[in-house]
Amino acid sequence: MQKDLEAKFLSDFETNQNIAHKICRVYTTNREAHNDLFQEITIQLWKNYPKFRGDSKFSTWMYRVALNTAISLYRKSTRRVKTQDISDFAYKIKSQDYDDTEELQLKALYKAVHQLNDIDKALIFLYLEDKPYKEISETLGITSVNARVKMNRAKEKLKNILNP
Amino acid sequence: MDVLDNYKKVWKNQPEDSNKLTSVEIYKMAHSRSSSIVKWIFIIGILEFIFWTAINLTIPDSFYKIYEDLDLMGYLNFFMVLHYIVIAIFLFLFYKNFKRVSLVDNTKKLINRILKIRKTVKYYVFYNLATVFLGSIILNMVMFSDNNKLMKVMNPDNLALDIKQVITITVISQIIALVIILVLLWLFYKLVYGILLRKLNKNYKELVKLTDN
Repeated sequence: MQKDLEAKFLSDFETNQNIAHKICRVYTTNREAHNDLFQEITIQLWKNYPKFRGDSKFSTWMYRVALNTAISLYRKSTRRVKTQDISDFAYKIKSQDYDDTEELQLKALYKAVHQLNDIDKALIFLYLEDKPYKEISETLGITSVNARVKMNRAKEKLKNILNP
Repeated sequence: MDVLDNYKKVWKNQPEDSNKLTSVEIYKMAHSRSSSIVKWIFIIGILEFIFWTAINLTIPDSFYKIYEDLDLMGYLNFFMVLHYIVIAIFLFLFYKNFKRVSLVDNTKKLINRILKIRKTVKYYVFYNLATVFLGSIILNMVMFSDNNKLMKVMNPDNLALDIKQVITITVISQIIALVIILVLLWLFYKLVYGILLRKLNKNYKELVKLTDN
């Protein structure tokens, strides 16, 4: 039973791991911290997996647990020496038509998102991932009206950072 | 077109992270040890329970002589039993609140529950401080109501002191002790919980902030 559950978890998570990577990239600014948060997310996903009933998609459930870990459980280590900014790391380029301009824009976007507070980061992340307001408000535990208002403000803040 | 729509397109096209993990690596990671804030709050909470209980247990017998001298042993025993019942209740609440923390809940509820664990410990510390405080008030009242008893307790070696001096010494030494304890506690809490809870409090405030501000 446990083995089945484990195998299912591993295959589910392996396919969806990029969600966790994106969240780590939003909430941390260097590779070491990224890996740290990724590990904590993995631990929490596995710990909570028995409670995952499958009445929603694994990815939907994963967004919630991973964001919760980033917002509420992850503690930045103060001992860590400041290392390179993550935007300087080379990310594997997959598609052929992926050009330099897009890469630069993506780096600028991450850099801007890093300046937002934890909640605004979550809002912007869910917006970029095209999540409906219903899901956003349910994930964060605020009303849809509140989610809309906060989202508009977060977007404004982001725009101001991107185009001052 | 909105400026962010363009960035959204860039976001969608972003390549996958170069550090893709295999299921073996994920397996290893999933079974490693967590270092989450909740875990730290739990550990520190347990240490506080141990600390305050240990203080009760390490009080030397000679300390109780004062209660014997004042004929308060009966009351003391009664309150000790009550005290241990209260500790048991606090421990139960602490564990219950810890167990209720679920990452599957929405963010607001989750943070609220984490802060609740911390609150249980806070009330436990308040309770301990209150018992110390109340205990010393009762002790003082009994002592000061009878000058003979006061002399017997505070000046057992019959030094050449008059009653006024004894009263002054008693009051001043108690105030100094109280101030030292409070300052140490305050420092400890500012430091430990300041570090652990700053992020949670900030995020919680952000979530409960009213829309019309």
